[in-house]
Amino acid sequence: MRRGFLTSAGVLAGLILAVGPANAERFKCPHTGGNLVFGQEANINTLDQMTSATISTRNIAMNIYESLMTRDENNHPILELADSMTESPDHLTYTFKLRKPIHFHNGKLMTSADVVASFDRYAKVGNQRSILNNVKDWDAPDADTFVIHMKSPQPTFIEALSSFSVPIVIIPSELKDTPAQQLTNPIGTGPFQLVESVPGSHVKLKRYEGYSPNTSFNERTGFGGYKQACLDTVTFRIVTEPGARVAGLRTGELQGVEDLPAKSLPDLKGDKNIKILPLKNWWIQIASPNTSTAPTDNLMFRKAVQAALDMDEIMDAASDGNYTLNVGFQYPNQPDYTDAGKETYNIKDPALAKKYLAQSGYAGEPVVLLTNKDYPPMYNSALVMQQQLQAVGINAQMKVVDWPTSVQLSQKEGPGWNFFFTGWGTQPALGALATMQFLASPNATYRPKDDKGDPDLEAAWKDMNTLPTAEGRHEAFARMQKIVLERVYALPFGSFTKVQGVRANVDGFVPYRIPRMSNVWMTN
Amino acid sequence: MGAILLRRLASAVPILAIVSILTFGMIHLIPGDPAAAIAGLSATPEQIANIRRDLGLDQPLMSQLIHWYGNLFQGDLGRSLLLGQPVVEATMQRLPVTVALSAYALVITLVIGLVTGIVAALRQNTWIDQVAMILAMIGISLPNFYLGLLMIILFAVQLRWLPTGGYVAFTDDPLGWLATSTMPAISLALLLAGLLARITRSTMLEVLRQDYIRTARAKGLPSRKVVVKHALANAMIPITTVIGIIVSLLISGSVVTETLFSIPGIGQLLTQAVLNRDYPMVQGGLLITTALLVLVNIAVDVCYALLDPRVRYDGA
Repeated sequence: MRRGFLTSAGVLAGLILAVGPANAERFKCPHTGGNLVFGQEANINTLDQMTSATISTRNIAMNIYESLMTRDENNHPILELADSMTESPDHLTYTFKLRKPIHFHNGKLMTSADVVASFDRYAKVGNQRSILNNVKDWDAPDADTFVIHMKSPQPTFIEALSSFSVPIVIIPSELKDTPAQQLTNPIGTGPFQLVESVPGSHVKLKRYEGYSPNTSFNERTGFGGYKQACLDTVTFRIVTEPGARVAGLRTGELQGVEDLPAKSLPDLKGDKNIKILPLKNWWIQIASPNTSTAPTDNLMFRKAVQAALDMDEIMDAASDGNYTLNVGFQYPNQPDYTDAGKETYNIKDPALAKKYLAQSGYAGEPVVLLTNKDYPPMYNSALVMQQQLQAVGINAQMKVVDWPTSVQLSQKEGPGWNFFFTGWGTQPALGALATMQFLASPNATYRPKDDKGDPDLEAAWKDMNTLPTAEGRHEAFARMQKIVLERVYALPFGSFTKVQGVRANVDGFVPYRIPRMSNVWMTN
Repeated sequence: MGAILLRRLASAVPILAIVSILTFGMIHLIPGDPAAAIAGLSATPEQIANIRRDLGLDQPLMSQLIHWYGNLFQGDLGRSLLLGQPVVEATMQRLPVTVALSAYALVITLVIGLVTGIVAALRQNTWIDQVAMILAMIGISLPNFYLGLLMIILFAVQLRWLPTGGYVAFTDDPLGWLATSTMPAISLALLLAGLLARITRSTMLEVLRQDYIRTARAKGLPSRKVVVKHALANAMIPITTVIGIIVSLLISGSVVTETLFSIPGIGQLLTQAVLNRDYPMVQGGLLITTALLVLVNIAVDVCYALLDPRVRYDGA
C-alpha cells in the first residue's frame, strides 16, 4: 500500500513503513453524491484544531485539516502532506519535502512558507506546544522543503510530531497571527471544506473539489492515506441526548451517529436499516490514588484495595456490558502492548485484601472516592468500587461533584480525596509514550508528596523518552507499567467499547478515533 | 404612560448592577477548573495548564474582576472561554432562537390555557370542567423532558410527521421552522398551559360572581358579551401577571427542551457555560437575559396601565 518515504541515515526503527501489494487497486468512490448527517454527542467549542484537545473538535476538524505527518490505521507514523522525510545522521535535522501541488480550500497553493507559519502559530498558541520544546528552530530553504532543527537528538520526536491529540495542522500563512480559539473560518487542505458552523446546532462540510489525495497510498488509513470525498456534504449535527440520536438513526434523519446507548442495542440490532459498529478500546476506565494523603499513602493499603476489586463487576456497571478486561495502559492490538504486571490485575480476593489491610494498620479512616455524574461510567464504577471496598471493611465514601470540580480537586495534594475516577481515551490510542506522561512528574496523577515522583518510575519514564532503540523504549514502558501496577499508582479497570451506528445505505464507514468521512459513500 | 415607562426603566439599572455583582461572585465561588472543562476528557496536565495560561485564568480574582468591569463599562462583555467568541455575539446568535421558540410556545399556552380556563369556568362542576382540569393537572405534572421524548417516539419515529430534532431558522424556511419547533414548543407550552388554565378558571369564577356581572346579565346582555366584555376584561389583569411570569418561565425553562431537541438556544448556551465554568459567558449571558426579563416585566406593567385606567392615574 505504501511506497517508502521515511528515510533516515540514523534511527527510524520505531517507524513502520506499511507496504502493500504493488498491484493493489486504488480506492475509487463506488458512488458519488449524497448528503450525510451525522449525530455527534458533544457540543463543539471551536474548529481551531491547534488549540483544542477535545474529541468533539477533532471529530469535525480532522476532516478539514491535514498535517505533515499523522498516524495510520495501526497507529504508526505516516507522512501526509509531506512526500518524504529524511533524518540527518546526527539526528538533529528532519527535512520534509512537501507533496505538490496541494491547494488550500481558499485556492491558494500550499508552500513551505505556510508550514513555517503553521509551526510558528502552534509554538505560540498550540495546546500541546511542548512537542516543540526540544526544537531549536525551523526554516524553509525553498518552496517545497521544510526543515526542523533539534536542540538535541530525541528518538521519540517523530512519534510526538505525528500525534493526533492536538496536531500541528497546516493552515495558510495569512492566518498565523489569529489568536487562540479564534480561527472561526477553518481553511485546510483536507478532502472536506467548511460550509457553515452554527454553534450548538451543526457544522456543515462539503466536498473540496480541489483536493489532492496522497497517491503514495491506495486506501485511507488512520487519519491519512489515499482519501476521497465521495459525499457531496456532511453535516455534523449536535445531538447530545442519546434517545434523540437513536430516534434520528431509526427515522433516517441521521445517517450515522456516535455513542449509541447500550440499552438501545437489542432493538437496533433487529432493524435491517441500521448497521451497528462497535469500536473496541475507546477508553481506559481508571481510578488514580492520592498517595500524598492517608490511608492511600500506604502501599499495603493500596494493595488491599487492588486485591479487593472485581473488574468484571466494575466494568459491567460502568459500561452497561460494553467492555473488555484489559491489563495496563495499552490494548492488545497495539504495538506497545505489554501485560507486565498482570498478576496485580482483577485479583478479586477479599481474604487477601483483608490480610493486606491488617498489615497496613488501617483503622477505619474514611476513604474518599472522588467522582462525578457528568460521565456516568465514572460514577457507576465508583459506586461498585465503594461496595467492594466496604465488603472487605474499608470505610469507602463517595464524593460526587461535577467534572470540572473533580478535576480541580484531583490536582491538589493532601487530604480531601483518595481515589479520583476518570477515563483515558485519546492518549492510550496514541501509544505508550502519550499515555504514561499522566504518571510522570510533574503533576503525576497519583499525586506524590511534593510532586516528587517515585524514582524508579521516573527512571523508566526517562528511558522511555531517551533510549535510542524502539526495543529499549518498549522494555522501559513494560518496566514502568509493572511499577505502576505493583505499587498501585493507578487502577486501570478495563476498556470501553464505544458503539457507533450508520444506516444500511452508508458504506465505507469504519469506526475510528473520529468519524472519518473520506472514502465513505451512500447508496440509494 | 411615559412616566411609568421611565420609572420602570430607571429601576432596571440597579437590578442589572446587582445581578452583575452576584453572577461574578457566585460563578467564581463554585469550585471547578474551567481549563479542565475546556480541555475535555483525558487532556494532559500540560494541555490544561496551557489553556489556563492562554485564557488568563491564572490571574488573581481581583484582577479578573477589575478587567471584567472595566470592559463592561465600555460595553464589552468579554469573550467566551469555551467558544472563543465575544459573549455578546454568542448570545445574540442564540437569543432569537429562544425568543422565537418561546413566542411559539406562548401562543400555544395562551390559546390552550385561556380557552380551557374560560370554558371550565363557564361550565363549572360539569364533566367538561372536570375533564379540562384533569388535563390541566396532567399538563402541570408531566415533566417536559419526558413529554418531549414521548412526542419524539410518536410523531417522529412512529408516524414520521415531524423531525426528531434540529432547528431551522424562520427566516431561512418558515415551514422548516414550524416543523422543527412544533414539538419543542408543545412540550414547553403544555406545563404552562395547565397552569394558566387553572388560574384563568379560578379568576373567571371570582369575576363571574361579582355584582356587575349579575347586573350585566340582569340588563339582558347576551351571555357572550357578558363573558368577553365584562368578565374576561376584568379577569385579564391578574391573568396578565401570570402571563408575564409564564414568559419568564418559557425563556428560563427552555434549557431541557433545547437540549432534548438539539436547538441552539440561549438555555443550552448558558447551561454549557455553567457546566464548563465559562465565567464571561455566564456573567454576560445572565446579564443579557436579565435585561430581557426586566423588559418583559416592564411590558407587563405597561399592559396593566392599558388594561386598568387606575394604574395610569396612580402612575401619573
